[in-house]
Parts: sequence; structure tokens; C-alpha cells
Amino acid sequence: MDFLGDGLRRAAQLLLSTDAEVYGIVLLTLKVALVATVIACGLGLPAGFLLAGSRFWGRRAALTVVNTALAFPTVVVGLLLYGLLSRRGPLGGLGWLYSWRAIVLGDVVLALPIAAALSAAAVQGVDPRIRRTAETLGAGAWRAAWAVAREARFALAAVITAAFGHVVAEIGSAMIVGGNVRGQTRTLTTAVALYTSQGDFGFALALGVILLALALLVNIALQVLQGRGHA
Amino acid sequence: MLELRSVRHRYETNGRLVLDLDAFAVPPGALIGIVGHNGSGKSTLLRLLALLERPAEGEVRFEGKPVTPRDARALRRRVTLVEQRPVLFRGTVRDNLGYGLRIRGVSRADANRILETAAERLGVQGLLGRARHELSDGEVQRVAVARALAITPDVLLLDEPVSSADRAAAAAMYRVLDEERRARGLAVCLASHQLEDAYRWADDIRAIAEGKLSPVTPENLFRVELPPRSAGAAKLARVGTIAITVATEREGPAILGVPPTDIFVSRQPLASSARNVFSGKVTRLAHARAGTVHVTADVGVELVAVVTEEAVRELGLVPGSPVTFAFKASAVRVF
Repeated sequence: MDFLGDGLRRAAQLLLSTDAEVYGIVLLTLKVALVATVIACGLGLPAGFLLAGSRFWGRRAALTVVNTALAFPTVVVGLLLYGLLSRRGPLGGLGWLYSWRAIVLGDVVLALPIAAALSAAAVQGVDPRIRRTAETLGAGAWRAAWAVAREARFALAAVITAAFGHVVAEIGSAMIVGGNVRGQTRTLTTAVALYTSQGDFGFALALGVILLALALLVNIALQVLQGRGHA
Repeated sequence: MLELRSVRHRYETNGRLVLDLDAFAVPPGALIGIVGHNGSGKSTLLRLLALLERPAEGEVRFEGKPVTPRDARALRRRVTLVEQRPVLFRGTVRDNLGYGLRIRGVSRADANRILETAAERLGVQGLLGRARHELSDGEVQRVAVARALAITPDVLLLDEPVSSADRAAAAAMYRVLDEERRARGLAVCLASHQLEDAYRWADDIRAIAEGKLSPVTPENLFRVELPPRSAGAAKLARVGTIAITVATEREGPAILGVPPTDIFVSRQPLASSARNVFSGKVTRLAHARAGTVHVTADVGVELVAVVTEEAVRELGLVPGSPVTFAFKASAVRVF
């Protein structure tokens, strides 16, 4: 257990010393997580609304696919993307392999089903009379959807938090398509894995503590939001 | 103005036919009462009229033209529905009353003036600052009606609008509807399982049973002329070839209602305190839900009694059987 105590002391020192590498990793992690969350939720939330609120051929199949994709192994996504983004792959021309964009792409693929499936569940949980009432008062499709979203806003905020949490903690795909290149594609999770394997527990633990702090901050933000509206 | 033609509508889940109407028209300025038991198809009919659902077969017409899905979106600004158990949106009552006005691009100042007038007319002006969870069911209903009236629709559809309201609130709401109708030709279509309410406020009663319009007037309701005050409280009111004894001080035109569940059914007249005893023949037996049977008999007029299936078996009732209906003078409702 000594390594844990030593590690925590080292973590505290690192955090207080404003280590440039640590902060570089944190900033890259935040950038990747935020961009991926915005894209995944920007696509996934409307998809969830569509899956929950519309009747179209293949809807059930689409819901099954999305729900299945929730359990998609991250390393498999990384592997598939590696095949697509490698020089000989169909998307090789983009030159994204071992770049932060590749990590974002992997994270979007992983977070999109989360955003779609959970927002569909959130919308399905809203009283159907809300949409009907909005429509009968003259609302078009967008305004009626907005009325539903307002009712489900806490659940939808939780969807965004879940997507962010998944993205920020993801390692399999980030390691494969990002390559864990120092100063370029090294995120908190890949760095923790690397420094642990090198036996540098203090540094790994410091990064782990920051990762937890990020998750904590996002959850606090959600709770503040939930605490505001009660009506 | 609004019309259904050859409409058949089925439940999406099990395909059961829930509405089967050859024609149903709502002319401008009409005050239509749709009466029927729970599950008779009233709410489905209102949702079709509100253009919220499309009929599986047949068409909905507005001002003589068939309504397409594209039209429906635009026409929903002129036809609005207050559901049986209405919901309010997040926010205050004021936010709710202003919802339809904001959609229509009404300025904040005008919206406030309009919604405050609507709130005052429905007696909810004191609730404007409250959130939905601070309201009773009856208050929610009144707010929902005020919210619908605030957008000055051409057709207002109401599904059991006073089921949670007290008499005074219900009367106030009906007064407002009548004023709107007279002032600007608002057409109102009001579904209720309370016949008294429908008869009191609507000028066109349409009965619906198992999704179909019933050609027969709702059960045991009769328009009568009550004689002037006599020595006792009981009066004889002529209905067709029979005279019904009624305990009332009312006189002049009235509607009598005999609740079908208050009628005793026997094969022969029995000695009892019932002042109204009429003999005739069973014309129809209709099995309803929960093991009850609607027994229709011609006793000079057509009367319906509700009894259990067991009672029908024990009495051996079949169409054509001789039967006696008995009910007390005090069971007869006058309105």
C-alpha cells in the first residue's frame, strides 16, 4: 500500500508545481472530450427525438442497432477506425491517423449511440400530452419538439453528462488511433496507462486524480442545473 | 366548418375499430355536446377533429376542402383541443397562457393584455404567478381552457372540461364559451359522460356508442313541460303515452333524466314505494362492460335499465319478454 501513499504525495506535488506536461495533457483531453461530446450530442439528440417521437419503417430495427452499439468495445472501434484512417485505408487521405482528430472521431462513434439511445429514452419518458398540447396550440414540429425537450431537460442534461463521461474516460480507441504521442495525442487515460506500465505511479495517479476531478466538476454542474428549475 | 366524412379509425396497437362515422360536422357557432360512456370513442373523435391524428380511412374537411397533412399544421392554429386531463408546460400559469400567443408572434405587451383578459374570464387571474405543481386539478382545467381561449380559435374542442371543477367554475366556463360563440361564432364541441352537463349547455347533443353515432337520444332523457305548482311536490310529466311522476318544484320546459341504474326490473309489477311503475316488452339487450346489461324496453316510451347479467338470467329476459320497470319519483332528475 506504500505506493498509493507515495503516489498521492507525488500527485499533490505535481498538481501544485504547474507541470507543463500535465497541463498539456489536461487541455488536450478537455479539447477532445468537448469537441466529441458536442458532435455526438449534436447528432445523437435529434436522432433520439426521431427514434422516440416518429413512426417510420425500420424504427424498431434502428433502436435495436443503437442500443446494441451502446456496448460496442472501444478497442474494436479503434481497430476499425485504424483500418479506415491508415494510409492504405479509404480515409487515409485525410491524414488523421495519430492526430487528435482521430481520437475525436473514435469518441464520436462511441458516444453517438449513448446520446441517441438515452435521449430516445428521455423523450419517451415525457408525457405524450405535452407534444399534443403544443401542437394543438399551434406549434410546428420544431416548437413541439422544443416543448418536449424542456420537459425532459434534466434527463437530456444527464445524457450529455453520460456522453462526456464516456468520452473523457475512453482509452481503447484513443490509444490505437491516437498513438499516445507525447505532446500531441497523449490524453489523460492514455498517459495514465503509459506511466503505470513504466512504474511511475505518482505521475499516473496525479493524472487519475485530475480525471476524477473533471468528472466531478461535470456532475456538480449538472446538479446545479437541476437545482435551479423545479417548476 | 369542420367535418369528418366516412371516417374509420383503428388503434395502432391492436387494430381494433375505435371510430366508425359516416359524417360528423361542426358548423360555425355550434355548441355540440358529445355524450357517451368512457371508451365510447369521444376522445378519439376529438383528436381527429383537432387534426392531431389522421383517420385510418376517410377524410377530414375544413371549410369544405379535404385537410392534407401540410394543411393540418396550419389549421391547428384555428382548431384547438383541451384534453380530458390537460397538462401545463413548465413555468408559470402566465407562461402557459402566453404559449400560443408567442407562437403566433404576438408582442409581449399584447400577449399580456390578452392572457390577462382570458385569465380573468375563467377566474384564474390570481394564479398567473403560480407553477403547475401548485395548482389543483380543477385549476389546471380552467387554466387549460383559458390557454385555449387566449388564442381565439375558430373551433374549440373540449374533452370532459369540467370533470374536476366545482359547479360555480363549470358554470363560469360555460358562460364564457357561450359569450365567445355569440360574439364571434366560435364553434364548440364538448365531450362529456355527464348527460346533465351536456343537456344543460349544448344545443346539439350527439350520442356516441362503441365508436358510432347513436340514432337514439341518450338514455332516458325526455324534453317535457312541467305543470305549474300543485299542492304536493310530486308532479306528473307527460312523456309520450305515459306520465312520469317527478318530485320537483320546477315548472315549465325541462328535461327529465331517469338514471338507468335507478330502475328496478321485474317480470311483474311488485308492491313497492316506487311511484313510477310501467309494464311493457323488452326490445333490446346489450351487454356492456363489467358484467352489466342494458335492457331496453318499450313501456309506452323506450326506457333503458342497467342490470347485472345474473339478474337477466334469473329473470329470463330475452327480447319480447314482458317486463316491468319501476323507479321512484325522487330518482328522476330534472334539469
